[in-house]
Amino acid sequence: MNVMGIIFTNDANLGELTNTRTTASIPFGGRYRQVDFHLSNMAAAGIRHIGIISRHNYQSLMNHIGSGEEWGLELEEGGLEFLTPYAMSATDIYRGKLDALHSVMGFLQFGHDDEYVVMADSAVLCNIDMTKILQSHAESGKDITIVTKAGIANGSKPLDLALKLDAKGEICDIAVDYEASSEYLASMDIFVLSKKFLKEKVREFIARNLFHMDRDLVLGLWQKGEITINVYQFEGVALYNDTVEEYFRNNLLLIDSSVRGDLFGANHPVYTKVRDRVPTYYGESCEIDDSIVADGCVLEGSVKDSVLFRDVRVCEGAQVERCVVMNDTTIGEGAEIRYAILDKDITVRPGAKLIGTQKNPIIVKRGETV
Amino acid sequence: MYFQKKRCIAMLLAGGQGSRLKVLTENTAKPAVPFGGKYRIIDFPLSNCVNSGIDTVGILTQYQPLELNEYIGNGQPWGLNKTHSCAQVLPPYERHDKKSGWYKGTANAIYQNIDFIERYDPEYVVILSGDHIYKMDYAAMVAYHEQHNASCTIAVRNVPLKEASRFGFLNTNPDNSIYEFEEKPKVPKSTNASMGIYVFNWKVLREALINDEENPESSNDFGKNIIPTLLNAGHKMMAYTFDGYWKDVGTIDSLWEANMDLLGKEPAFNIRDDERSKIYARNSALPSSYIDSGAKVVGSFIAEGSDIYGTIRHSIISVGCTVGEGALVEDSVVMPGVVIAPGAIVRHAILGENSRIGRNTVVGGAFGAKDKMKISVTSKGAVLEDNTVLLPGDMR
Repeated sequence: MNVMGIIFTNDANLGELTNTRTTASIPFGGRYRQVDFHLSNMAAAGIRHIGIISRHNYQSLMNHIGSGEEWGLELEEGGLEFLTPYAMSATDIYRGKLDALHSVMGFLQFGHDDEYVVMADSAVLCNIDMTKILQSHAESGKDITIVTKAGIANGSKPLDLALKLDAKGEICDIAVDYEASSEYLASMDIFVLSKKFLKEKVREFIARNLFHMDRDLVLGLWQKGEITINVYQFEGVALYNDTVEEYFRNNLLLIDSSVRGDLFGANHPVYTKVRDRVPTYYGESCEIDDSIVADGCVLEGSVKDSVLFRDVRVCEGAQVERCVVMNDTTIGEGAEIRYAILDKDITVRPGAKLIGTQKNPIIVKRGETV
Repeated sequence: MYFQKKRCIAMLLAGGQGSRLKVLTENTAKPAVPFGGKYRIIDFPLSNCVNSGIDTVGILTQYQPLELNEYIGNGQPWGLNKTHSCAQVLPPYERHDKKSGWYKGTANAIYQNIDFIERYDPEYVVILSGDHIYKMDYAAMVAYHEQHNASCTIAVRNVPLKEASRFGFLNTNPDNSIYEFEEKPKVPKSTNASMGIYVFNWKVLREALINDEENPESSNDFGKNIIPTLLNAGHKMMAYTFDGYWKDVGTIDSLWEANMDLLGKEPAFNIRDDERSKIYARNSALPSSYIDSGAKVVGSFIAEGSDIYGTIRHSIISVGCTVGEGALVEDSVVMPGVVIAPGAIVRHAILGENSRIGRNTVVGGAFGAKDKMKISVTSKGAVLEDNTVLLPGDMR
């Protein structure tokens, strides 16, 4: 099966965390960027032609992915393509996914052997076997396959796209940007369609000033009975990082070994940019409990229920509890930090105190001294 | 095919059996033995090459090369896979003139690969060993060699007299030029031990290798044959003093010690704080490590992808290990992929890759600073059943 992949990278706004980076390049889980998950999923499924669509702030993303060699995607034919606004036919930033796809028609034309397109966003993290989705799509004979997850809809979380099935498993309702109740399935923003169908629809919709994938293509066509939909239900762990609160909670969820095992081991390894750090050194006085620790750290203080990225220093007497600490951050002697997200390259002065809450963790911006 | 001319290339001798590492090298060449949590021994000389601006490295393999070959692959982890750079594995091969076959000695291994070296038309060739742990700037040594207009420069370091029997010694004039070489003397005249790191003018070395091959008496070894012959022929040979950390990890005890030297607030060998000379390694794509609330970790290295539920003191835990609840690991080197079941006790041991230590099993034991070292060792993939004992100094 010849398949091309498309990853959208600017889908969620996480405030200060996405001020200078894409959703795709938000650091996650100690050593990853969010895009690593879908890049690894696609690479593991043998997808060898992947377009990465970015609207803005993509410098850190390009730096992270490079030639794609960590994912085995530095290829003579195909491989990775960065589709940034100035590389697209339209120089404006796009107004919706269909608009973005329209501006990269050249990319869609290019791999003419590719029969199918898998599209994914960067805010939902999972370790998923995409060959199964593709197989399900091909067997279903439907126009589009939407990958969904039960148990995400809860009546208060707004979902990009929610579907409700009746007793026979047929779709009986579709809602867009809606706080659907728990009987709905949440879209994981992963779609499979034939390239021919996608190109056709993108042209038709753009010609009529319709830009929105979920609202115009899925919901609109379904209401008119003009699209057949295959609903694929994913059973594994899917972490939705749509808000800072969710991002914070999902990082700390990795402390649970079943979540960790599923996300990193269910189907294939998750690859990321190699930084060649030394193993983490645990000093004589450190006290580490229930924490995720990347390499290159030097730990002398106490760390509890936290995620530490690479090259973090926790000095003697410092206390870190329920925190996400990104790389190259130093926490000075005797400092006390609870419920906080420390972005990269932060210096916490000795004795400083930062205390947030589970719902509203304190965010310290990249490069600051506090 | 076009080969870019190189001023300097390196040849890395990685074919030795490493028999003194016993069970650890049963199925693996010594340079492929894991070290320091996430490295293999060969990562040190290879990374030194890259950090010294040497981008063409021939790696001579012979003994149990499968794992080593896989590990080196296309040289990508060290950035040696570019258009004009390479990490080329050079195994013995059959030649039309029958002047080939197994590498008879270190010099013969280079002799058989003269063609490889000639492609790059180098001025200098650096000869390295694949079994030393150290960080060194070979570029500085080559510059020194060039400055002194030498035919050969040999890196030396001061070693205590009691270790004399293990090394070759270079006796030098006040200007550091060498006038005598003594192989493993009982009482050396100097403390300048050869580190087995040589810089040669390629033209001189090429001729010496060809002449040495013609001599049926020769054992085709750098230390025994090439160096003394060049010295006797009146070539200018210089000693280059290196005073950084360096360890030959050819024995179980020295391998254990070198690992332990990475630990501590001010480690004997500090690989943590030097951005400019990173040690590169093939990445294992494992997630970050997890330290449970029941775990206690002090004075230790823990690499990625490990789950720690027990107590770790003064040890190296490599990538992808699991240490169960209530287990104790002390003064030990735990190689990649090892699983230590709950309640097991491991002291003063080296656990080979993917070993399994059963529940409540006891491995090794403590010894005092003045006692004879007794390191217990498990081989790659060894399985120690529940409730068993592996005595101090024993191997399984």
